Amino acid sequence: MKTLLINTLLMVSLFTTTPLLAQDDPLRVGMSGQYFPFTFVEQDELKGFDVDIMNALAKEMGREVKYETANFSGLFGMLGAGRIDTVANQITITEERKKAYIFSEPYVYDGAQVVVKKGNNEIQGVEDLKGKTVAVNLGSNFEDLLQELPYADQIDIKTYESNLERDTALGRVDAFVMDRVSASQIIKEKPLPLKLAGPTFSSITNAYPFKDTEKGRALRDEVNQALATLRDRGTLKDISEKWFGTDITRP
Amino acid sequence: MAVLDFDYMLGLIPILLGYLPLTLELAGIGMVLALILACLLAVVRVLAIPVINHFAIVFISFFRGTPLLVQLFLFYYGLPQLFSSLTVIGGVTATILGLTLHFSSYMAESIRAAIIGVDRSQTEAALSIGMTNGQLMRRIVLPQATRVALPTLMNYFIDIIKATSLAFTLGVTELMGATQKEAAGSFLYFEAFIVAAVIYWIVVELLSKLQHYLEARLNKAYSR
Repeated sequence: MKTLLINTLLMVSLFTTTPLLAQDDPLRVGMSGQYFPFTFVEQDELKGFDVDIMNALAKEMGREVKYETANFSGLFGMLGAGRIDTVANQITITEERKKAYIFSEPYVYDGAQVVVKKGNNEIQGVEDLKGKTVAVNLGSNFEDLLQELPYADQIDIKTYESNLERDTALGRVDAFVMDRVSASQIIKEKPLPLKLAGPTFSSITNAYPFKDTEKGRALRDEVNQALATLRDRGTLKDISEKWFGTDITRP
Repeated sequence: MAVLDFDYMLGLIPILLGYLPLTLELAGIGMVLALILACLLAVVRVLAIPVINHFAIVFISFFRGTPLLVQLFLFYYGLPQLFSSLTVIGGVTATILGLTLHFSSYMAESIRAAIIGVDRSQTEAALSIGMTNGQLMRRIVLPQATRVALPTLMNYFIDIIKATSLAFTLGVTELMGATQKEAAGSFLYFEAFIVAAVIYWIVVELLSKLQHYLEARLNKAYSR
């Protein structure tokens, strides 16, 4: 114990204020490793959409990446304590978070999405849900989103514990509403005749948070530049297509 | 009911076993340091050494009175907020620090109870022949107290091993952290966590065997 304290005090004297991230410093990225298919582990190897995007960004920036995995609840604490430089875990930009952190440009655009059975061309978007039966997951905020529509009283909303996608494919309900990324994932992974109907309606944007310090701002600018380059080059789209079969990196 | 994926479970065993050494390291170092600190605290309390005794009482009260997870978060996330240079306390160090302080407060109380349990007349006898407090503790009281305290101390060691599973919240990928991540990748939660559970269980069973052996040895002097 005593030596631990003495060691700590000695090391404290060595580490004074941290300057800007030097060019050869690795980028320390926090993620949960538990959010399929964004960040997960298979056979001891860290994989996922967020890993691929971050690797591409780091390559573009000419930096090494060091991934720190911890439970989601700990990630912002690690960022606040300066143990990591950013979090790559589909962090949604919210007003609350904007008060404490600065964000890069969004790299994932998500939103509420209407999904219908393949061949149903009658429903082209949220406006066409009038007079239809629509399934939503219990506890999700999509029911609220539907209730806020001016024609909400004309929509028959059904809440499901699970398997709403199956009932939509069977035709028991006309459509279901879910976030686009998860919906795309279901369409890709499950052998069900489903398709996305129209654009998203109530947007969610995900980005990289940084600490609002000189170092954080410089890193954010560096990341934004790399994001723009990868976007122009089509790398973001390619990675998205690989995991989701659709481009979630554009609005 | 879905069928269990046994091939996946078999494949997972060597991967998860790779993280067992870190789990045992956290628990082992934590246990040794906690034991040393607990002995000091217990002796301070029993002898009611002025000033330090009050410190010991507050220390035990705080570390026994707050959840281990809160303490870990305090060391790992909280302190660097006050002093940014304290980020040098890494996840492993913070975990060991937390385990040590937390469990030493519990262990101090059981050791104190074991010391008090040694018959008062023996203390009086030792003091009457001119032993110092130190000699009394070393030669008479602690050897007997050890025998009494052993089962509860082993209990705490078992608890420490399982408490290391909190380290993943500090970014330390030990057995539990590795399991959580593998489960998230495969969606085979039951399979992954049952493998982890069995590994913990076997380790604890081996420790119980060690406990029986140690108890038998310490009881030799008392058996007829």
